[in-house]
Amino acid sequence: MTIINVTLPMRIIKGLSDYSNIVNEVLKQEISFNILKFSTDSSGIKMLLDVPEDKIKDITKSLKKSNIIVNKKGRVSIDKELCVNCGACVSLCPTEALCLNSDFELVFSEELCIGCNLCLDSCPRYAIKED
Amino acid sequence: MTKTYAEINEKIKNGDVVVVTAEEMIKIVEEKGIKVAAEEVDVVTTGTFGPMCSSGAFLNFGHSDPQIKFEHLWLNDVHAYHGNAAVDCYLGCTRMADIRPFEYGGGHVIEDLVAGKPIRLRGNSYTTDCYPLAEVDTEFTINDINQAILCNPRNGYQRYVCAVNSSDKILYTYMGKLLPKFGNAHYAGAGALSPLSNDPDYETIGIGTRIFLGGGVGYVIGEGTQHSPKNRFGTLFVKGDLKQMNSEFLRGATFEKYGTSMFVGLGIPIPILNEGLAKKTAISDEELLTDVVDYGIPRRDKPNLRQVSYKELKSGQIDLNGKQVKCSPMSSFNKAKKIAEILKRWINKGEFYLNPPAETLSTERDFKPMKITSEIKFVRDLMKKAEICYYDCDIKIVAEKIIKGNINHIIITDKEGFLKGIVTSFDITKAIANDKQELKDIITKKVITTNFNEPISNAARKMRINNISALPVIDEQNKVLGIITSEELM
Repeated sequence: MTIINVTLPMRIIKGLSDYSNIVNEVLKQEISFNILKFSTDSSGIKMLLDVPEDKIKDITKSLKKSNIIVNKKGRVSIDKELCVNCGACVSLCPTEALCLNSDFELVFSEELCIGCNLCLDSCPRYAIKED
Repeated sequence: MTKTYAEINEKIKNGDVVVVTAEEMIKIVEEKGIKVAAEEVDVVTTGTFGPMCSSGAFLNFGHSDPQIKFEHLWLNDVHAYHGNAAVDCYLGCTRMADIRPFEYGGGHVIEDLVAGKPIRLRGNSYTTDCYPLAEVDTEFTINDINQAILCNPRNGYQRYVCAVNSSDKILYTYMGKLLPKFGNAHYAGAGALSPLSNDPDYETIGIGTRIFLGGGVGYVIGEGTQHSPKNRFGTLFVKGDLKQMNSEFLRGATFEKYGTSMFVGLGIPIPILNEGLAKKTAISDEELLTDVVDYGIPRRDKPNLRQVSYKELKSGQIDLNGKQVKCSPMSSFNKAKKIAEILKRWINKGEFYLNPPAETLSTERDFKPMKITSEIKFVRDLMKKAEICYYDCDIKIVAEKIIKGNINHIIITDKEGFLKGIVTSFDITKAIANDKQELKDIITKKVITTNFNEPISNAARKMRINNISALPVIDEQNKVLGIITSEELM
């Protein structure tokens, strides 16, 4: 599975039906997928979806037709220059996305990140940024 | 078997000194025994890299023309302490910038200074006959100033507690972000690499001990503040020349909603003068214990939940009442290891010699609590009787009670007196405006409460943070004992 961030831009939102339209577009592919996050803000309706990797192309194509923006961002990234490998973020991570390896270096496994953002304000170095 | 400092330094000079890190020493003693290890190993290096809030720097800028005697001064918008001579100052790492507080503070200025970045200096003065200049606004780098001395009154804690949070809210502390209901655990200290844990009786660490500090050479200049040797919470007062240091080992830090601090890299070489020191430096994470402490209780004496070894802590999970709780270090072991390795390299290359302390650290000092001469008030001292209505009460009766008692809050309980909610005079007004008849439709069910033994300042903070004006006082069973309102706090 791979995580994608889809956004229906604010300027083209017409009503409540737009919410189900996004989900229906994905459901057209007849796949099972996870909705990790669902939110609305000034940029539009946003969803963080966990979808089968081999279906990404089809899903993207179909969503784009409905003016829905798809990108792979939406979770966090670690700035290695700023990180001091303290590990303060590790206990905040509900999955194993943030771990210390045997040399006590911080390892970020993006594929395990569910975009909960709990770690964001735990970093004493502001090394964790929202994508 | 005994060795002297002179003998070890002679070996360093000749290039045949045997230096190992405190982690390597564990294996050596395990494999060869204490006696052989004491003969073979000359120096054990230690290291730690953690946030140390009691860190700061003395700076001297030299004189301007005409001269100025600073009354107030700011470095990159961080206020520095200037209660010393005309152009000296002390910059503390927890002092936050006037602009962008919590994001940038004294620790970040020190990091930027050491990294060679330009620092803006703004200062003013009431002016004197000998110091007539009223204002300065300039920029400097570390090379432009006379002295830049890292001076940290309390660093290198022998060990530190492991913090957890029993409350139902996220706590933002100097021990990081603690999730509610024991959702995670945070600890600090380098365990088996910790300098003072490897010389727990302070045989070799004392005034004048040459150390690794922030990537350069520094010195122990005394026992640290809050030095508490009897329960193995010893601390060190250290200083060093910032001009020799490296910003890789001095990093500004921010703890969300707490403030700024600084990560400090500290490493101490321990000469193996006797078998006792060989044994002590072989201490493992398994043998080093610390306490799991509940930061959910906002009091000085916090409940101690259990003892835990650094081995368990470093595994990433600790057992708490049968539940596995994820834990995070606040200090970087990666950097601690690096520091011990660098110090080892310096000694091996003959760049760093060991010296006996001019005086050793106290093993007797007590860590006293603050003496308070003004009375500290508790909720029990100021609470008053609560006006109570039952859940099924008529809104009109509630309104009458508010008017009769000239009060703003009615507490709602069940027949047994257990808290069910709270209603304010504003809620009643709103009910009338919205044509609501039932009490159950207007009460606030999720109530912020206090207890009998809570200090007034904590209760006041709860009201301020939640933007409310009263707290029901409840017992452990959620039974209502009274109420405290903002009026009592005035």
